[in-house]
Amino acid sequence: MATPRKPLWRRVLFNVLAWTVVLLIALPLLWMILTSLKPQTELFVIPPTIFPGEVTLEHYRRLLAETPFLTYLENSLWLAGATTLVVIVIATLGAHSLVRFSYPGRERLARLVLFTYLLPSVVLIIPLYFLMIRVGLVNTLASLVIAYTTFALPYALWLLRSFMAAIPEDLEAAALVDGATRMQAFVDVILPQAVPGIISTAIFTSILAWNEYLYALVLVNSDEVRPLTTGVMNMLITSFNIEWSLLMAASVMMSVPLIVIFVFLQRFLTRGFGAGAVKG
Amino acid sequence: MTESGERIAARARPTLETRYGILGALLIAPTVLVFSAVIVYPLVSATYLSVFAIYTPTMEGEWVGLDNYARLLGSGEFWRSLVNNIIWTAGTLTLQLLFGILVALMLHQNLVFRSLARSLVLFPYFLSTVVAVLVWRWLFNDLYGVLNHLLMWARIIDMPVDWLGSMPNAMISLIFIGAWKYFPFVVIAVLARLQSIPDELYEAATIDGAGAFARFMDVTLPQLKEVLVVIVLLRTIWDFKEFDLIYLLTGGGPIIATQTLPLMVYKEAFALNRMGGASAVAVLMMLIMLVFMTLYLRKVRD
Amino acid sequence: MTGITFEGVSKRFGNVSAVDALDLEIGAGEFVSILGPSGCGKTTLLRMVAGLEQPSEGSISIGGSVVNDLPPSKRDIALVFQTYALYPHMTVAGNIEYPLKKHRVPKTERAERVRRVATLLKLEELMQRKPRQLSGGQQQRVALGRALVRDPAVFLLDEPLSNLDAKLRAHMRAELIQLHRRIGRTMMYVTHDQLEAMTMSERIAVIRDGRLQQFAPPEEVYARPSNDFVAGFIGTPSMNFMTGRLAGAGAERVFQSGDLNLSIGALALTDESAGNDDERLVRIGIRPEDIVLDDAGERARVMVVEPTGHEAIVVFDYRGNDVVARMGADSGLRPDDVVKVALRIDRMHVFAESDGRRLNDDRD
Repeated sequence: MATPRKPLWRRVLFNVLAWTVVLLIALPLLWMILTSLKPQTELFVIPPTIFPGEVTLEHYRRLLAETPFLTYLENSLWLAGATTLVVIVIATLGAHSLVRFSYPGRERLARLVLFTYLLPSVVLIIPLYFLMIRVGLVNTLASLVIAYTTFALPYALWLLRSFMAAIPEDLEAAALVDGATRMQAFVDVILPQAVPGIISTAIFTSILAWNEYLYALVLVNSDEVRPLTTGVMNMLITSFNIEWSLLMAASVMMSVPLIVIFVFLQRFLTRGFGAGAVKG
Repeated sequence: MTESGERIAARARPTLETRYGILGALLIAPTVLVFSAVIVYPLVSATYLSVFAIYTPTMEGEWVGLDNYARLLGSGEFWRSLVNNIIWTAGTLTLQLLFGILVALMLHQNLVFRSLARSLVLFPYFLSTVVAVLVWRWLFNDLYGVLNHLLMWARIIDMPVDWLGSMPNAMISLIFIGAWKYFPFVVIAVLARLQSIPDELYEAATIDGAGAFARFMDVTLPQLKEVLVVIVLLRTIWDFKEFDLIYLLTGGGPIIATQTLPLMVYKEAFALNRMGGASAVAVLMMLIMLVFMTLYLRKVRD
Repeated sequence: MTGITFEGVSKRFGNVSAVDALDLEIGAGEFVSILGPSGCGKTTLLRMVAGLEQPSEGSISIGGSVVNDLPPSKRDIALVFQTYALYPHMTVAGNIEYPLKKHRVPKTERAERVRRVATLLKLEELMQRKPRQLSGGQQQRVALGRALVRDPAVFLLDEPLSNLDAKLRAHMRAELIQLHRRIGRTMMYVTHDQLEAMTMSERIAVIRDGRLQQFAPPEEVYARPSNDFVAGFIGTPSMNFMTGRLAGAGAERVFQSGDLNLSIGALALTDESAGNDDERLVRIGIRPEDIVLDDAGERARVMVVEPTGHEAIVVFDYRGNDVVARMGADSGLRPDDVVKVALRIDRMHVFAESDGRRLNDDRD
């Protein structure tokens, strides 16, 4: 920038103010972590302490040993994995079709994708519930995978479409001239180029599936099948004493994948943001 | 290709192009299938179910024509929910825009450990709503929540506040937490736009004598207008249809003081076991959203 | 050995006609340039031969068989893209090997053919590199190698040299000519650079707005352009044009423009007796090298002198017209000099103003 260098004190002041704002935003999360590490007694002290007097992993141990948390975790992992797999396969083929083929109705279909962003999930849940009862799939993980796929697909498709549109079309043409069929060109040339986009989309889809609450609430009501979201909330409602320590530990653990993604894979996340609109 | 162009070419189009077209259609077929499940089926279903009275657990019912609609539109609860919905949406959207733009401006400067700051700021958006709710409910706890204690220690209040159980606190808390959770979306979109504004515009303004505020009003804001139009549309719609956050924080309470239309749909369907009624609320809700979208897009076009 | 034939080929995109009822026959083993300005439809033509676009009308044949419905993989062609289109995730070796893999050539034979091509194009040192680690010229050679390795019947080249700097371009032009001589395959070379077309081709097809203007060897396109568009497009610096009227006939014929009265009786024209005086609006063209200093000529004032080292490009004010001429480096001319300048009538071109067609009678 050609503007003159601001005086040191102004820059320091700005940094202090800005970081105060950042810490305020992050305060709930920091508090969550701190609480989970405090011994039970410290939790209910008035006035509450900021930093734990002594750090304890007691709550984590109890969470894993004495609650269905691990079951919920396993379910969530399965769900996120299966949903992401299904969505990526369908969306990659679909995005390729939207970008590199032409057939009647193609543009209308693309606009339909946008439209589905806007439908309330409360509306979608009713007929889905209906359908699951009819098909006899209520209270199974399969029903959730199907449900999550239906609502994660539009976002994945939109993201992948913009990633794949950025791949130069000459590459596919070169493969065709070199003797590949259209599907061979897709596998040999397009897919390898689409890998960063696929990773971004996979991360996004996994996060969507991991965080989803309403569909799990309606379609599943037994502990064996519950994912983390409804499972942990269930722990909250069904106990007489709300065990905040356990809940905070559970919250931290639920957020671990997100933290991992943020630390190691952030660029995939922000690239996805840039590539198109994102779920709200 | 225009529609007419496609028709002209189709008469002379050789089969290779047609074969490619078929392959393309095949590749998108699974997507179309899923979309039919996501769009066509629910829309048709909801409209269809809304003219029946259906007992949820058995999904059996009988035709009642427009009775559901009559009951809803005549009930205070529907209108109260709609008003709540509007208050919630307008409130949280305003805060999201305000915080979002301010923080984006802040992150646009040279900040020490900027990428760490950006990560921390983005976090609430990707956090599970369940986690967000748990954390905030703990923060808001009347006896042990740290928020009450901080405010009492700072002598701002002298009694613990019930943040979620009484009005107007509950709505205000909701609006605020909603803003906290979703403002990063605004930050990212605005920040991306800010980074593409050429420095020369600011330099020229400085030379012309504009101060910081004037530069923001005359250079930054006009450049942001387009992005903001899109952001407002998307966030309004997404905030309007928000279920998870409100349901988990207040459940619509106290009583129905924070109940919004999505919550009413859920309540009708699964608490009152009136699936037909729930569908009617859903249809009404979508009509309202459709009207809003049309008016908004028309206004924006000028 | 196969040639390429276009019969009545048209291509429309929506309401826009990119190629219009084109008939062209490229002989087997011939090197033909498709030359024209940007957007004239030449790349579309190439892509139709490759099978990447389908003609809206007409048929395209390679080696005598119609290929309209064949996918690119079955047409026995290779295409060198303007952007090279090398596969970024494969090494140079992988790129060159890919076409052979797709055609199910056995492994040992693949290795041998790749090696041969690498030697031919001097790529041996680069085989394990990825495309992004190569310079523009190197990438271009890899693209060529990928095309060569299959030894197809037809080579299609889409402005392959346009992304190279001038020196490299000149070098590659020579390489390509030698290559063609060596392998003798049909080559269809698309370019907007008339110098490339002139130096490399056996015949040039000049295209404008999707229509064929002239299809002839370089010398003919240069010396006997079929219309004013071709005349102006070929040659640097380009041909000088003057619009005027013809008066008189035969040996008394005169070209009148403003206060210029040029006797051009020595020039044979077809259409001698066509029309009355009012309809004989023409454009005459004269190339820069056909303008000489001549005491019997017209007075002209020097406006600009551009020395290029081995010659000088001089712009004259010739009776109110700006004409560009090629003069020797030692002409000694300076701006504002007034000299006598003559146009070589025997080298003049005459075109009808109405449709640009050539009016010279070139029969001997």
